[in-house]
Amino acid sequence: MAFDKNTDPLKLHHVVGDMECDYIYTPGVAGDKFFKALRDEGKLLATPCEACKITYLPPRMYCERCFSELDKWIEAKPSGTVDTFTLVHEDRDGNKLPEPVPVAFIRIDRTDGGLIHQLRGVDSKAVKIGMKVKAVLKDKSRRSGGLTDIDHFAPA
Amino acid sequence: MTMSEKMKEVPGIYLRDAELKAEDAITFKWRPNAKYIWAGGIAYSRFLEELKNGRIIARHCSECDRILVPPRMFCDQCFRATDEWVYVKDTGTINTYSVSYLDADANRIKDPILVAVIDLDGASEGVGILHYVDNVDPKDLYVGMKLKAVWKPEKERKGSVTDIAYFEPMKED
Repeated sequence: MAFDKNTDPLKLHHVVGDMECDYIYTPGVAGDKFFKALRDEGKLLATPCEACKITYLPPRMYCERCFSELDKWIEAKPSGTVDTFTLVHEDRDGNKLPEPVPVAFIRIDRTDGGLIHQLRGVDSKAVKIGMKVKAVLKDKSRRSGGLTDIDHFAPA
Repeated sequence: MTMSEKMKEVPGIYLRDAELKAEDAITFKWRPNAKYIWAGGIAYSRFLEELKNGRIIARHCSECDRILVPPRMFCDQCFRATDEWVYVKDTGTINTYSVSYLDADANRIKDPILVAVIDLDGASEGVGILHYVDNVDPKDLYVGMKLKAVWKPEKERKGSVTDIAYFEPMKED
């Protein structure tokens, strides 16, 4: 016998469900310190490894190269360079955005690391690799200890 | 935990529950928007529809001459499409059972939940459905016990296996 082909589950008897898979992400000892400094003092912290001449931002507890513990903390300037970028045309639900939003990987000055963040105050067509940008922080009262405490990056 | 000869325990800092829940710990809480639709397929959908009418429908495979319930459009032994719809009775025999002192959320309960795999009369041997058993002392349950379905009132049925409220011991006539 032949079966009617059906690819729509709603046409058949069906059960709609919600998978409750809540999670709590903890950023670890170094991440905790990084986000608290950002929230409370508006500072970007980094951990340098003097032996390897690598400065980690986001900070790490251990050097990824020589595995030594990093206990020196320095403040990085809230400025950097666009290392690479993309233009986002749709939101997370797939709806068209009125304007494309540039999202860049920004290498923070005098560190070997960087952050992924939105660029604003620049025309999406004018974004270039190598562009100098600076972090624009939210007001202290609106910061909650997360990467969005930086509202966006803007041309320096 | 001893890891090796050189390393006696796992290095690093253990994250304690109290720290995780502490007000000053940075945490990111999230509930992913993970929705699903489970569809019954052709056979199971018909099975659920028939339950609304107080009937249990099965599929017959003419190759192995088995009657499958819940019905399946494909025979899992012969690897071919099953052939016809047949009704089976709402009475049967306990194939296996369990007396559970834990509820669905694993809370300890005083009055146990009784569940059994029931071989329905009219279906092939070993083809059973899982359901609740009630109106019986757990000590009196045995494999081979005859049961009968207790249906919900017709207007409360909604095309679900719970349209049968539970099974109870068949009264000797």
